[in-house]
Amino acid sequence: MAEYLIFLGCVIPYRLQSYEISARRILEAFDVKLVEMPSFNCCGYPVDPIDHELASLLAARNLCLAEDLEMDILTLCNGCFSMLNKTNRMLKEDRGYREKINKALGKIGMEFKGSIEVKHLVHVLIEDIGLEEIKKAIKRPLKNIQVAQHSGCHLIRPAKYASRGGNGGMEMLKELIRATGAECLEYEDEDECCGNPIIGVNEEIPLQLAREKLKHVRAVGAQALITVCPFCHIMYDLNQSRIERKFGLKLEIPVLHYPQLLGLAMGLQPDELALNELRVRPDELLKRIIG
Amino acid sequence: MVYSMSQKEEFEVVNRVDPAFKRAVSGMHGAEKISLCFQCGTCTAGCPISRFNDFYNPRRIARMIQLGLKDRLLSNDALWLCTTCYTCIDNCPQGVEMAYIIRALRNITVEERKVMPTIYKQMLSNILKTGYVYVISELRIKRRIQHGLPPLPKSDSKQIAKLFDATHISDILERAETFDRVD
Amino acid sequence: MRESESEDIRIGVFVCHCGLNIAGVVDVEEVTEYAKSLPNVVFATHNRYTCSDPGQEEIRKAIKEHKLNRVVIAACSPRMHEFTFRRTVSEAGLNPYLLEMANIREHCSWCHPSRPKEATEKAKDLVKMAVAKARLLRPLEPIEVPVTNKALVLGGGIAGISAALDLAEMGFKVYLVEKKESIGGHMAQLDKTFPTLDCSICIEGPKMVDAARHPNIEIIAYADLLSVEGYIGNFKVRIRKNPRYVIEENCTGCGECRDVCPIEYPNEWDMNLGVRKAISVPFDQAVPLVYTINRDYCIECYKCVEACGERQAIDFSQQPEEIELEVGAIIVATGYDIYLPEEENIYGYGKYSNVITSLEFERLILAAGPTGGHVIRASDGERPRVVAFIQCVGSRDINKYPYCSGFCCMYTLKHAIQLKEHYGDDIEVYIFYMDIRSNFKGYEEFYARAREMGVNFIRGRVSKITETPEKNLIIHAEDTLLGEPIELEAEMVVLATAAIPAKGADEVARLLNITRGSDGFFMESHPKLKPIDTPVDGIFLAGACQGPKDIPYSVSQGSGAAARAATILSKPSVKIEPIIAVVDPEKCRNVRVKCGICASKCPYGAIVVEKGKPAEVRAAMCHGCGTCVAECPADAITQMHFTDAQIFAQIRAALEENPERKILGFCCNWCSYAGADLAGTSRYEYPPNLRIIRVMCSGRVDRDFVLEAFRRGAGMVLIGACHLPYDCHYIDGNWKMTERMKALAKMLQKLGLTPERFRVEYISAAEGVKFANVIREMAEKLEEIGEERIKAENAKLKPILDRMLSRKGM
Repeated sequence: MAEYLIFLGCVIPYRLQSYEISARRILEAFDVKLVEMPSFNCCGYPVDPIDHELASLLAARNLCLAEDLEMDILTLCNGCFSMLNKTNRMLKEDRGYREKINKALGKIGMEFKGSIEVKHLVHVLIEDIGLEEIKKAIKRPLKNIQVAQHSGCHLIRPAKYASRGGNGGMEMLKELIRATGAECLEYEDEDECCGNPIIGVNEEIPLQLAREKLKHVRAVGAQALITVCPFCHIMYDLNQSRIERKFGLKLEIPVLHYPQLLGLAMGLQPDELALNELRVRPDELLKRIIG
Repeated sequence: MVYSMSQKEEFEVVNRVDPAFKRAVSGMHGAEKISLCFQCGTCTAGCPISRFNDFYNPRRIARMIQLGLKDRLLSNDALWLCTTCYTCIDNCPQGVEMAYIIRALRNITVEERKVMPTIYKQMLSNILKTGYVYVISELRIKRRIQHGLPPLPKSDSKQIAKLFDATHISDILERAETFDRVD
Repeated sequence: MRESESEDIRIGVFVCHCGLNIAGVVDVEEVTEYAKSLPNVVFATHNRYTCSDPGQEEIRKAIKEHKLNRVVIAACSPRMHEFTFRRTVSEAGLNPYLLEMANIREHCSWCHPSRPKEATEKAKDLVKMAVAKARLLRPLEPIEVPVTNKALVLGGGIAGISAALDLAEMGFKVYLVEKKESIGGHMAQLDKTFPTLDCSICIEGPKMVDAARHPNIEIIAYADLLSVEGYIGNFKVRIRKNPRYVIEENCTGCGECRDVCPIEYPNEWDMNLGVRKAISVPFDQAVPLVYTINRDYCIECYKCVEACGERQAIDFSQQPEEIELEVGAIIVATGYDIYLPEEENIYGYGKYSNVITSLEFERLILAAGPTGGHVIRASDGERPRVVAFIQCVGSRDINKYPYCSGFCCMYTLKHAIQLKEHYGDDIEVYIFYMDIRSNFKGYEEFYARAREMGVNFIRGRVSKITETPEKNLIIHAEDTLLGEPIELEAEMVVLATAAIPAKGADEVARLLNITRGSDGFFMESHPKLKPIDTPVDGIFLAGACQGPKDIPYSVSQGSGAAARAATILSKPSVKIEPIIAVVDPEKCRNVRVKCGICASKCPYGAIVVEKGKPAEVRAAMCHGCGTCVAECPADAITQMHFTDAQIFAQIRAALEENPERKILGFCCNWCSYAGADLAGTSRYEYPPNLRIIRVMCSGRVDRDFVLEAFRRGAGMVLIGACHLPYDCHYIDGNWKMTERMKALAKMLQKLGLTPERFRVEYISAAEGVKFANVIREMAEKLEEIGEERIKAENAKLKPILDRMLSRKGM
């Protein structure tokens, strides 16, 4: 089956092994072979506000490493996907910018050629494995389960780079959720930002945004919120108890990485999927699924 | 050549602006289309942040660039509130990429004023040192092994340092003043 | 009328069921039986669908079998099927004007569905009224007038040239009359055109030459319109050709005379920024290429005569020459002028040397212009580094010109783009605007292009401009997008001043008897469906004389006007509806005293009044509104098919029984009658005590009709008209009626009539709801006043009204 160079990024190894563990389990089950990056640097996203050119260079260096191995990149993080994919596309399309970046890359003996693609886990699941194969792998259909999705900005915007031939946006994750047998509930402001990128300069606003999102999710009666990005996950899972304390409300919405939800439907055990690492305990949900 | 009078009275010199500012901004990657903005306000309407902050109004920021009110723009920390959700970019009827324009303003502020939020200085220093934005603890690395995960790839700090030097950000990074919070 | 009185009147009445549309509410059999009881009715029947083939066949058969010479059809609105039934009766050999319809569907069954008994009574009344009128109907023949198949185009701008070329290509002879020395109009003054930046004269020049060379076009330039007489198909136009002091046939356009001429004067074509010789052409591409001597400046040194030599084209003895043209149609394309805010020094224009108008800028940036295409400041001849354009100067200002001048946004964008193209980043261009109006093909993209090129747009109206010692200009405005006042120092300011009606538009309007709107531009006959026609048949509008227009719009309208004119010119004769006004010479006062009221009230100038002679209606110019008929103090004018006698007969028939319970309505055909139709079509129910009499225009409603109605005991009288100020189908018949009825209402009130009993309402064809509401209100009021009080008032009024109407022999 398919083979990818996996780009973990920084946040996942720093904080969210549960996402990595569950993703690797799933991909393994579908025979997707993952190769580790030979050398690493940050995708460049956090550098962009300070120095756009340096951010492009950092992204380009990762792209060049993949080009050398002649492998496409798979990311788990929306931020990494967005930064690497956008830079890849821009450098392919904008000759002037490519020349500028290549000049600097020359100093470390690299050259961007434009020979690989960058994909997010969601794209690999839909495009390489396919919904039909996923449905076939379901052993424990999530029949009476209702969840909501949060695809995250950097998976779906800007459309110029995020859309994939008419197939794109939030529909991808919704389809993947439905493939597990669960119902995907719609709620107000589904595509609103989690706010995480500015939490380093202002906590107030991201917590407000996350509170609103979680309230909307709760209002439609979802039993869990499903994410595919470590940043978004942190806002809704790790910060949920903070939000509850700060605003004096009870939310208690488990936030699962999509591969965790899919893994459960495929019959994997909760500990194989690192469900115990979630801050908001998904006990109720597990009871419904496993009994 | 254009003065904003309310400002002029207070800061006669400070707010004397050059019409070249719009051109300077539009010369930056991603910000080329600033002059096409016809102020419809759809960016502000769809922005998750502008309701929390009076200054952070993408339409108004675009206008200030067009008029060349550079000092007022660069002296306001609210520029660091953009979450890069890119809603403004997808909604703009003229292809003006406001989020990238905000990025350009941040880049200009860093370069000209040598100032940035503390968190960014930390993150950049970390990248320079380890390749990673965060310093990943030994405990974490041990736990990876316990979980049967492959070891983390290592950084090539020499190469990364060369890239930092290529854009001359290293000099600025050392000297840059920082601030912790944007209210 | 005497003839018809002696005639044996045989009326047939046909009552339509319209399926259940009428028969579901109105008892059609009862109505038919009732019709049989009416005098002169010799035959009455009812059928399911009168408009169907069998229905029509029955009418044709009955006309023959019963020797019917009048037909009354009680069915739908005449606005629906009058035309159909006129054809039906004429197929049976009857004159089509011997038909009358009773509207028992829209005005009866559809608006009174829950009161079938009263609806049936109303239907009977409507039939009785129709029969009463039918008894007095007379055969009429359409008036046919011959057509001269030549056209006059007034004005040689791009609209006029386009119209002339199209008509000429269709094979009609065209006289293209131009006031100035050359055709070309404003377009010949422009440098480039938006949004394509074609050179203006390069695309117009060939058209001008085409016009000059076309065998069917005769250009009469440097000429004035003196008078226009006649009517559709038959206009007589007098033109004065002004002396050029150069014989047109002899002048070769070589320009040797100009070369030797020692005198220069400001060239109006260059907005007086450049000069021309006392003998010259205004611009190189002038058509016709004939030189003209300006005698105001000529010192009569005769060097030109010498230079011309044996060509002998110069003739100082030339005199103005009057010529008369006969044409069948006229196209008015007299264009517009640019407002010059000199007197008021708006934004310093006329006072600060570096404030100019856009048309002046146009001549500056034109390569063939007085500065050779170099944009320079008048104060020091330097090229400005900062240029500010100010939009809507005089336009969109209720204190000056309230309308939008339409093309200024686009030409200012063009100027800004031209400057950026010439000087790039070496010039800053600012546009102060309120709204950018860039609707039409390619225009929005042009606006985007200007922004892309770095033109600075500031949304805000400039409050004032002051001048610095360096002759720079400080502009004060608010950037409304930022919400803060700003100042800008510019080195040149260009004002986009309003496009205004051409000088002399009032004179043209007077000579042609066409109307002008409140903005001073010529009025079209209908803003939507007759945008090219004037209210005067045979006269059409093209280009900016009707309102500011850009080039493509002007060209389109020129072609449109040519097509409209061709609908007349292509026929040997035109037919005119015979429902016109006719003067009885024996009754006309003007024979004895100076009167002329009819002529002054006629919206079309169709009445000629000469001293000591009876007034005369020019049949072909009369539109049949009937306003003159209502206004004539001697009752000397009759409107065919809507005669006083016919309408009085309808009034009496309507009010024969229980008049105090009824509302008598006079409704104009185009608006309020149609509004009543719509009320029915929309099934708005209202009380059934209304009886409507249709007139073509509310202007036809004579004071005497109202007086007669009250004399006959009417409970209430309603006059329904088109909305003021501009909705009238006959220009201003509704105004004439309004003035007349205001005075009458006052008088009636003095005589003791409760004011609510006489009402004038303006109801459009779209206001079915309003119509129903008005009737509901009136019916309630009628109830409130009460029959006793109405009877008492009427009794008090009657002797006075008797006396007032006695002159009518009533």
